[in-house]
Amino acid sequence: MNFTPLNIILIGIAGLLGVGFYGLLITRNLIKVVMMLQILIKAVVLALVFAGKLSGNLGLGQSAAATVIVADTIVAVVGLALAVQVRRRFGTLDVPKISTLKG
Amino acid sequence: MTLLTFIGMIVIPLVSSPLVYLSGRLGMHETTLHRRSYLVRGLALLAILLAWIPFVLSVQTFLTGGTQEFNIEAIWLRVDGISLLTAAMILTLGTLVILFSGPYMAGEVGEEKYYAMLLAMIGLMIGLACAGDLFNLWVWFEGMAISSYLLVAFYREQAASLEAGMKYLVQSATGSVMVLMGIALVLANAGTLDMPGIREAVSGSDVNRLALLGAGALFIIGFGVKVAIVPLHTWLPDAHSQAPSGISAMLSGVVIEVGLIAMLRALSVLPGFSLSWGVLFMAFGALNMLYGNLLALRQTVVKRMLAYSSLSHIGYILLGLGIALYSGMELGAQGAFFHLFNHMLMKGLAFLSVGALIYGLFLQNDSHASLKITDLAGTAQKYPLVALALSIAVLGLGGLPPLAGFMSKWQIFVAGFQTQNTWIIALMVFMALNSVLSLAYYAPLVNMMYRKSPSAQVLAGKQLSLAIVLPLAVMMFAVIILGFAPQLMDWVTVPAAQILITMFGQ
Repeated sequence: MNFTPLNIILIGIAGLLGVGFYGLLITRNLIKVVMMLQILIKAVVLALVFAGKLSGNLGLGQSAAATVIVADTIVAVVGLALAVQVRRRFGTLDVPKISTLKG
Repeated sequence: MTLLTFIGMIVIPLVSSPLVYLSGRLGMHETTLHRRSYLVRGLALLAILLAWIPFVLSVQTFLTGGTQEFNIEAIWLRVDGISLLTAAMILTLGTLVILFSGPYMAGEVGEEKYYAMLLAMIGLMIGLACAGDLFNLWVWFEGMAISSYLLVAFYREQAASLEAGMKYLVQSATGSVMVLMGIALVLANAGTLDMPGIREAVSGSDVNRLALLGAGALFIIGFGVKVAIVPLHTWLPDAHSQAPSGISAMLSGVVIEVGLIAMLRALSVLPGFSLSWGVLFMAFGALNMLYGNLLALRQTVVKRMLAYSSLSHIGYILLGLGIALYSGMELGAQGAFFHLFNHMLMKGLAFLSVGALIYGLFLQNDSHASLKITDLAGTAQKYPLVALALSIAVLGLGGLPPLAGFMSKWQIFVAGFQTQNTWIIALMVFMALNSVLSLAYYAPLVNMMYRKSPSAQVLAGKQLSLAIVLPLAVMMFAVIILGFAPQLMDWVTVPAAQILITMFGQ
């Protein structure tokens, strides 16, 4: 595999997705969970622009990417706000310790 | 019909959402707290009632003129059978939930936020049902998801609600990453995101079929989190049981169904895979039915039990849609869409009547405890109407004739037998057995409510107000009437089934 610019972007997308999913699986801290979601979204933003470039409709890909950035900032804000409340009620951000609902 | 008359369905709830919030924030004196609550409730109810006007106008135009399309610059909106069915479901349940929430949420901290988010969610869901291009579908979907995270975690003083909200957020956000990857794959292959445009662009022979199949798989996983397809369902029982009762009804009655509509719309842009989607839907449907029923059997908390029964009902709906996609038969889709509507009515009724009991037994005694099945003992003596409503709801869900749930299950059943396919007929028998199995957890509920000796909680229970009982009565009559006259919904289920078959046509 030669390192053309397109290939490098493809590797970047795959790498970000890999890091994000791996992190989501192993992390025990709620703030880090939200960070991992953000890393996944960065992969998606890159993928959308890349897809626009590949199909020759760069404008569409870029506008989609910009919208994703806005929408996902809101998700991050809500996620962090919930994490703050969790810290207040449970006194911890450790995921296994806040798991009370079962069955 | 012009764009202006139709767009009101989406715009009125969305615009009124910040207005309701602001009106709840005006005049911060303690003395006006009570009046402010009435102002917020009244405005929310007015907004949702106003949204019915464009809906009725759209239905009129649809019945005479068929499918309509509108665009605002590059944003396409489509009014077809499926969008009208979804809008009807959302508006019906939304109106009743707002009415019900009046007394239920009165005096809660942040009451105005509750109505603002609820209205926003209603507007966004109707928008999602009408979306005509793939990326806007995602935008509406994400907006709906964000407002529902906040509603699930509404009781932020309670640890369990926060936990449920966080679980829901993480799973749903991961799902939406999958959907976006799917959209990127489609964009890379088709060069456009307009739904009919994509179909045209990728129907040639030189496209990468594997990439399209991958995109479809990503759509199924991504939207599947919201639909609660079995391995992806773990957020559902927590979120449904911890949310305020009105929101449990909305989540179970429309949000998961709207996720299914989004999944269907997204899958419909990839031509030539209908058979695979059909088989997959049927397999997941069977899994959902069995798993939902088995787990519902061992629940002790009523709302959690109802949440698991949502899983099995999604299973019936998936089965009907699977039959339609696999064999191209409209009847299967018609049954599935009818069951979609009936499930909204019955599960909405079940959650609202459980909410009414929670309101009478716990909330008015300043307790946020969860309602156990044993607490229901003897409720019929103190709350005869609520007990009757809950009984009708669960018996309808269990598929007892002549209630609405039986009629839609029967339609799916008949469609399955008409395919003459041994496997599908075996699945139909499996579905019938599951339906009987589900009575094993619905019937004890009814039994418990009609016992002679009331539980301590019931004896300490308070009276219910009219605004709580009225929605229950309305939905109860609807469930009974649809059971006797299922053809009442044909005006929308038939066009919805037709458009589904056309969307997935070869």
